[in-house]
Amino acid sequence: MNAPHRAAAAAPLPFYQPLADECEVFEAAWRQQLPLLIKGPTGCGKTRFVAHMAARLGLPLFTVSCHDDLSAADLVGRHLIAAGDTQWCDGPLTRAVRAGGICYLDEVVEARKDTTVVLHPLTDDRRILPIERTGEQLAAPPGFMLVVSYNPGYQHVLKTLKPSTRQRFVALAFDFPPPAVELTVLREEGGADEALARRLVALATQLRRLGGYHLDEAVSTRLLVYAAKLIASGMAARTACRVALVEPLSDEPDTLAALMAVVDTQFGA
Amino acid sequence: MEDLVGSWWDRLVRRAAYPGYPQAAVLLDDVAPQALLFFRAMGGDPGLAIRSAVGTAHGARRRWLARVAGIDTHVELAWRDGQALYLPERIDLYPDAALNRGLYFWLMALAAQPPAQGDWLQSNSEGTARCLTTMPGLATLYQRLVAALLPLRNWPANGTGQAAEQAIRHALLQPGTATALPAGSPPPQPVPLWLHPSPPSAAAANQDDGQQPEQGHGDSRDSKARRRYRARRDNPDDRKNGMLLQFRAESIFTWDDYVRVNRHQDEDEPDDGAAAEDMDRLTVSRDGKTRASRLKFDLDLPAAAYDDTPLGDGLLLPEWDYRRERLVADHCRLQPMLPRDASPAPLPDKLQAAARRLRRQFQALSPERSRKSGEASGPDLDLDRIIRFLAEQRSGVAVAEPPLYQAWPPAGRSMACLLLADLSLSTESWLGEAGQVIHVIRDSLLLFAEALAACGDAFGLYGFSSLRRSEVRYLLLKDFGEPYDDAARGRILAIRPGYYTRMGAAIRQSTSILLQQPAQRRLLLIVSDGKPNDLDHYEGRYGVEDTRQAVLEARRAGLIPFCVTVDREAGDYLPHLFGKRGYSVVHDAHRLPQVLTSLYASLTA
Repeated sequence: MNAPHRAAAAAPLPFYQPLADECEVFEAAWRQQLPLLIKGPTGCGKTRFVAHMAARLGLPLFTVSCHDDLSAADLVGRHLIAAGDTQWCDGPLTRAVRAGGICYLDEVVEARKDTTVVLHPLTDDRRILPIERTGEQLAAPPGFMLVVSYNPGYQHVLKTLKPSTRQRFVALAFDFPPPAVELTVLREEGGADEALARRLVALATQLRRLGGYHLDEAVSTRLLVYAAKLIASGMAARTACRVALVEPLSDEPDTLAALMAVVDTQFGA
Repeated sequence: MEDLVGSWWDRLVRRAAYPGYPQAAVLLDDVAPQALLFFRAMGGDPGLAIRSAVGTAHGARRRWLARVAGIDTHVELAWRDGQALYLPERIDLYPDAALNRGLYFWLMALAAQPPAQGDWLQSNSEGTARCLTTMPGLATLYQRLVAALLPLRNWPANGTGQAAEQAIRHALLQPGTATALPAGSPPPQPVPLWLHPSPPSAAAANQDDGQQPEQGHGDSRDSKARRRYRARRDNPDDRKNGMLLQFRAESIFTWDDYVRVNRHQDEDEPDDGAAAEDMDRLTVSRDGKTRASRLKFDLDLPAAAYDDTPLGDGLLLPEWDYRRERLVADHCRLQPMLPRDASPAPLPDKLQAAARRLRRQFQALSPERSRKSGEASGPDLDLDRIIRFLAEQRSGVAVAEPPLYQAWPPAGRSMACLLLADLSLSTESWLGEAGQVIHVIRDSLLLFAEALAACGDAFGLYGFSSLRRSEVRYLLLKDFGEPYDDAARGRILAIRPGYYTRMGAAIRQSTSILLQQPAQRRLLLIVSDGKPNDLDHYEGRYGVEDTRQAVLEARRAGLIPFCVTVDREAGDYLPHLFGKRGYSVVHDAHRLPQVLTSLYASLTA
């Protein structure tokens, strides 16, 4: 088995603050050639985690953001007409298999159900990708790994992962990091100083209590990083919180006013 | 003349002596829409409601002018108990409305803190310090509140009073460093920035199992309906049949003190309400007699011959106990029933016109056709696929001819809806000229069924009421399997209000019925007129939490629960039960039929 060779020094490792043993789990799954499912709320660091791990293991990363019009051909590839001739063009999944890298399907539930079926032969012990259009059958090299993610918080009746698809993955559950970890993230990623990071984390704790009751989704770490970046760039803290934390969460005037009152408990004038 | 001068003087001196600034007053109703959200964000218990506090006598020495005017004896302070957060109905302490408003938010932040150790002074000082360290943004507000408050407080004349005032001021200025109040000091002046020193135990009156009267749902509700009176429970006086010789001028005292006698008048005085407002406490006593007999009258079970027809032996359903945080298995017995005296009947004439209109609307809504690409045959060519196919053909690889057509098949909506109507006794109340709530619900059911029958979605109609956990009555009005015909209309026309609202069990049963329906989307629509409640402990928090669990279970099972209510105070508890987007309040109950159908159209579009 090929050992993880370090990424070139030119590309710095994307910052990721581990919460527990998820890095070890990822690496073990990669070594054992198992596909991985990551579930967690919006903006908690799923995509960053995958980018970090790909860089750490020195693997090329092919990311596909899934949408409800994504067809199997978008993943596998198609023939294109170029200069009076047709050329076969690999899709991201095929490219990942050929290169022996990580194929990351973001928000996989958004893809149509028939699309995800093309993943099935890659996710069991066969690890093959049959390309119907060219008659080719690719065997995945040991470096290849399939990673999919989805957000279980969406209350969408029609958009859930089929059990037959779910049962093919090793699964990691992500959530917003605990305050101490989030503090580090805001300092490293958002450029916030200790005091600012503390206040933002306290504010996030307050706002997250409203998830499910008044807000459809709790405030994400990503939004906190945005707020920290805006403040660090010189924007007034209250304004930054309004545009980065309050307005993205709701449209209702009463809710917005109450959220601003909560912001004022940390950044009041 | 004396009266005139007297009332004039009274008005004048009251206005002069009034300690607040009415022109800068902020009402609880103004901040209420934001209050629940703010309180929860501060860490307050999400199950608590927000109520207005009743004034309590503080006993502290007042200013000379206030004593002359006879006012300023009571103060409204904030406090929190297991059921609710109590806030002053209005705050006009400061001349600046922004400060008064800020005081509301300060009180909510303080009340959301876990209770601290020590006496009133220490615990409030401790809580304040905790607030200020965890929420540095509040510090500026707090400093402004304190700075504006200190000039409003007067110095007591005697020594111990001064020592106490000194301790309070010290605690206000330097939170977290308070010492205990000096012993033997007179009652200190109230501190509006702090929580109530001895909250009235309103909950004690609620702990009674058994004899709860049903909640009134008349139209005369106003802000006083939310008001909590300071209540005292008294043991009944065992004298047989006393008489009260009443001296007119003492009527307040005879109100206040509990004496079990026959009062000299039967009718209520017109200003009784005002008198009750003035009192320190209302005495509530159990004599186990008068109310019990009234309840008996309300709830006397009809003889079997007159009751609705039960179907089978009933089903055992679990119930959520929030104190133990688990489902208690087989806790309720749900009895499916058919309405008695239901004979097939056509739609009443007065609803015909509305039904025709709805049928037209919903027929237009139903045949929702969508283009389907990749069909083996169809009226249109699928250009995308043809281009792809031609490209592949040119590449020289043999590909079977793919389906290249687009079709417009008649799309089934694949939607099932179960409507669950609250038929508890509270629906018997009147809505002015439109008749009773139950009539509005009945008409809504009829029109709703007409609309759904027109658009072809599968639907079922059920009603429920309850009588303790042993009898949750689940009335079958229209089953999913049967067509909507005159028999079903007759059953809807035969519904009558009765008993209580044990919502959790009814929702659980509806969930299991709805889950058997083969549809892609399944909507559980609940029509209600008030909070969950029942005769036993199923009221207040217990009922709300059980209903919430039942709703969560339905949601987890993939259903879409939605509640439509005519209870105008539903905004206090429905977000907790159904989520922010999961309910709709119909402020004008007469419009329920229209709202219900248009809501269905928008929910499922």
